[in-house]
Amino acid sequence: MSEKWIYWFEELSTADNDLVGKKCANLGEMSRLGLRVPPGFAVSVNGYERFMSESGAGEQIRRYVSENRGLLDKVEFQVQAGRQIREIIESKEMPKAMREELQDHYTDLCKRLDMEDVSVAVRSSGAVSMPGQMETYLNVVGRREVTRKVIRVWGSAFTTRAIAFRLEQGMEMEKAPIGVAVLKMVNAKCAGVCLTVLPTIGDTSKIVVEGNWGLGESVVSGEITPDQFIVDKEQEEYECVLGDKTKMVCYHPGGICFSEVPHEKRCVPCLDELELREIVRVAKDVEAHFKVPQDMEWVIDSDISFPENVFWVQTRPAKYMKKKENESEYLAELMSRVFKM
Amino acid sequence: MKVYDVVPGLEFDPERDLAQSPAWFLDGTHSVPPWTPMFGWFWINFCRHGMQWGAEKLSLPTVKGWDWRFMNGGGYLTLLLVTSEEEKQRREGEFRKAILPFIQDYEGLWGGFVKEILSRYGALKALDLDKASNIELLDNFEETIDTCRRMWEIHMYMMYGTYTAYILFENMCRDLAGIDDTSPTFHRVVSGFDNKVFQVDRRLWEFAQRAVKDDLANTISKTDPPEIRQELEKTDKGREFMSDFMAFMNEDGWRMQRMSEMNLPTWVEDPAPALGMVKQFVAKGGGFNLDEERKRIAKERQEAEKELMSKVPTEQRGWFQQLMGLAQKSGIFSEEHDHYLDLYTHAMMRRSALGLGRRFVKLGALDDPEDMFFLIPDEVRRAGINPDQFDLRYIVARRKAEWQEWQKTPNPPAVLAPGFDLDQAMAVLVKSNDPIALKVVVGAMPQVRPELKADLYGTCGSPGVAEGPARVIMNEDELHLVKEGDILVAASTSPSWTPVFSMIKGVVVDRGASLSHAAIVGREYGIPVVMNVFEGTGKIRSGQRIKVDANLGAVYIMDK
Repeated sequence: MSEKWIYWFEELSTADNDLVGKKCANLGEMSRLGLRVPPGFAVSVNGYERFMSESGAGEQIRRYVSENRGLLDKVEFQVQAGRQIREIIESKEMPKAMREELQDHYTDLCKRLDMEDVSVAVRSSGAVSMPGQMETYLNVVGRREVTRKVIRVWGSAFTTRAIAFRLEQGMEMEKAPIGVAVLKMVNAKCAGVCLTVLPTIGDTSKIVVEGNWGLGESVVSGEITPDQFIVDKEQEEYECVLGDKTKMVCYHPGGICFSEVPHEKRCVPCLDELELREIVRVAKDVEAHFKVPQDMEWVIDSDISFPENVFWVQTRPAKYMKKKENESEYLAELMSRVFKM
Repeated sequence: MKVYDVVPGLEFDPERDLAQSPAWFLDGTHSVPPWTPMFGWFWINFCRHGMQWGAEKLSLPTVKGWDWRFMNGGGYLTLLLVTSEEEKQRREGEFRKAILPFIQDYEGLWGGFVKEILSRYGALKALDLDKASNIELLDNFEETIDTCRRMWEIHMYMMYGTYTAYILFENMCRDLAGIDDTSPTFHRVVSGFDNKVFQVDRRLWEFAQRAVKDDLANTISKTDPPEIRQELEKTDKGREFMSDFMAFMNEDGWRMQRMSEMNLPTWVEDPAPALGMVKQFVAKGGGFNLDEERKRIAKERQEAEKELMSKVPTEQRGWFQQLMGLAQKSGIFSEEHDHYLDLYTHAMMRRSALGLGRRFVKLGALDDPEDMFFLIPDEVRRAGINPDQFDLRYIVARRKAEWQEWQKTPNPPAVLAPGFDLDQAMAVLVKSNDPIALKVVVGAMPQVRPELKADLYGTCGSPGVAEGPARVIMNEDELHLVKEGDILVAASTSPSWTPVFSMIKGVVVDRGASLSHAAIVGREYGIPVVMNVFEGTGKIRSGQRIKVDANLGAVYIMDK
């Protein structure tokens, strides 16, 4: 029996970072904390390595790289090499045993959700921060497609930038510590972010929730002004500033795209009070667990009923102005200028 | 017969001292009328020490604190400037590190000092002065001297750090929002906070409530403050009331009637001023209006904060918010430090000196315990352990005669070297960038605006407009004359004046800056305060109807 290389999210935790990559490990940790994450599974780095070795792709890449060693430090060649290596990977079929195991997990996922041919997202999940590992495929349907997209995510570890990065870091060219997440697509009514700190002033007594209709990408990308809710952690009082939600991000056969928000929905808050309270409740729990302010991404599914429809797709330590460090020193410097006037 | 200098080593010597610095300023806020010799000794030695200690600990880039001299009961001060550019730069680097505790944990810093100093007071008060041995009394006196020295270190270190933040906030408000510390919006941002002095006032109000409940209100209302205690102690209910009242005094009544002097009783010795406040609260009736005002003012503050923040670029808001928090604490510190530091330490000095003084009288060294205030510590030490062996009366007699002379002619506001004028002297003060000099000595000068046709022009200490009868009060013992609805006119005010703010409609003071007592308390009570009118107590008479428009800094005398 070969080594285990596919894990359900709930089997994982942050300790498995090197095994399945950050994104999957994080989703695992989140589901352990009781956060509702979109159901799904992770393909570990062992899966990648097994594929490379069993399919022959690994050997082929090694040969290609050693033949062209002298050319690799040239940028034009790196572009070509990236294309070549991706082609090698994508041209391989997944070995039968692996394919069946992967596809059976997909089928199990469909059974779990009591749906046929459930629509999933296939995302890369790097164990180390490495440029170029951003590949994401949305709306993937069916056993065959899932297999193809997993291979393509593996191939995406060989973008030009990723190759340059390997050279800089002295990493072996054919290695790629990359995991893959396969998770149910959420039919997003609305989505957004939640920070358990006001990042601009480092005020940890407040939670800020920002959201827009549709997928969270519109909020994260900063292309529109989302609705903003600022909630006091103690008193639970909140203020709401409506954004001019003119556009939203939707699924599209080839991925995602911006579309117009219908006029009647623009000046309506994208969250109702119950949903907001649920987001805040969970965010406070998670912050209490990690003991540092969190930067979280949430999405509300329109097919399922509240509160089962509040999903979390990300949580990580928030970046914000910490009072104790740089701000204090900056203020000390300003204070010293009082003596110069 | 040779009598020592009052402050050996720090007596004003025109020849030498004017060579050191061409301008010496009288500290008119604290040393008018002239100090008793003992108080002067304490102040000149330790205020001087504390300023230099605080400036050095913080490594203030341009100034090393102040030098002080004693002359005829007056305190004269000059600044110790950093002269070389190289030293300024070195000190500036040090300053950036030294100021961090203020930015990172202001409450912890101030709270720690309060705890430290209160524990010193506790140790001093633990000695039963009338049962103590001579040696214990002398030790208590020496520890009091040391406590005073430490008090001034804390005082000036905290004040320099706090005021630096306040001045920066003021500058930033001017640069970012176009408002300065005389603007009503600015005042709203720094108002609506509780502090220890208000908490004491609240306790006085609670005693007034209790007097009503215990049927003592009538006795209090018809009795003059000095007799209230005696009258109350005629009944069981009254005795119980007074016993609780004195317990409260023993906790929070360590206040001097004149803040910077020791020859008037503390509230603990003579609770008449405090009972006078209770009487005023009884007469006034109703709730403790500071509570109601506080809510309203705190809400206005939040709105003003928002308004101010909206003018600050987003990426600057982090430190600006932090700075605003620090500036808001300046007001709290300004009030609380008087209570915990100056007033309490001076009360301890009086207590210890009088304890020793009573022993000196008993054993024949003095005629009156209060004659201690005409001695300096070296002379006290002479008779400390064996008061029966020494006669200190001749020193007292000579010093008292001198002190009485000092009272007759006012000390000059400044002593200047020949060829040096007051404008030049003021320019040196401003150039020093000394935060205390800027906020306390110089202050904002009023703008005379003839188009307003006002009788007096000042600066805004607290926004608002009010009209009513003027009440000119020159000393704290006249405070019971203040009536509901009056407009208080004074040279300046201090924490023991706070309770009358609940009755009055406005304040006019001759001198004051945005961190002076009248301004801070006026803002908390939501009444207009006009400051720096210079001759308010000279031009206005009690009973005249006056109108104050603090927003414009104008005072009108309606019936001339």
